[in-house]
Amino acid sequence: MSPIGFFILSALLFGIGIFGIVARRNVISLFFSLELILNSANVLLVGFSKLHQNLFGEVFVFFVLAVAAAEAAVGLAIVVALYRLTGSVNTEDFSRLRW
Amino acid sequence: MNEVFFYLFAGLSVAFAAVAVTAKNIIRGGVALLGSFVALGAVYFTAGAEFVGIVQVIVYGGAIVVLYLFALMTMDLKKMKEDPFRAGSVAIGSFLSLAVIVLLITGGLTVGGEVEPQISGATEIAMPLFYKFLLPFEIVSVLLLVATIGAVAIGRRDS
Repeated sequence: MSPIGFFILSALLFGIGIFGIVARRNVISLFFSLELILNSANVLLVGFSKLHQNLFGEVFVFFVLAVAAAEAAVGLAIVVALYRLTGSVNTEDFSRLRW
Repeated sequence: MNEVFFYLFAGLSVAFAAVAVTAKNIIRGGVALLGSFVALGAVYFTAGAEFVGIVQVIVYGGAIVVLYLFALMTMDLKKMKEDPFRAGSVAIGSFLSLAVIVLLITGGLTVGGEVEPQISGATEIAMPLFYKFLLPFEIVSVLLLVATIGAVAIGRRDS
């Protein structure tokens, strides 16, 4: 099995995530795109772990997963608080810090 | 045989990811993201990373996406305006993503070697995780506790 498959999959997921972050203006969609980018990193970590016969890459996937879970929890709390404040999840309505 | 299933589930995962990012209906996007993560778990299985695949399905599919969907249920979905894509941001986004994709794949072409799909279950993962990476593991547990407390502190109403 050639390692190029992992690169293609990771690159496509990363590209889709970047596109979503630039093009969407719904905060929840931005979170979806962020999760996709984190997953693309995980794919490469697993691929290199299998390529080099070294399990440290797979262990690192767990740390990425834990950080992703923490980010989702805190980020969603912030989004829900902002939703209560402004009644919207569109990034263009979050202009409180702009004059 | 592994390779066939690898490309099958990789294609499935990419297709679901594209739906998740472009779907106008945000709930549909969340469910597509769930499909993408489950397909990625299957991709890990084809590479032999069994435990990572199981954890991917349980944590990403079972916890994170469901957390997003629950948070969406507290919001008024009818009031969310369907945002039409702007031509400018779509152009910038496509350019950036294409540049990143080309860069990553050209970088990947220089990597040689063969991936040997050796099975790494819980036993194999446990040795490095609990010997070499014990301190980061404990720090991650503190991070999760802090994140939980922070989420509760931010999310509660003022009384």
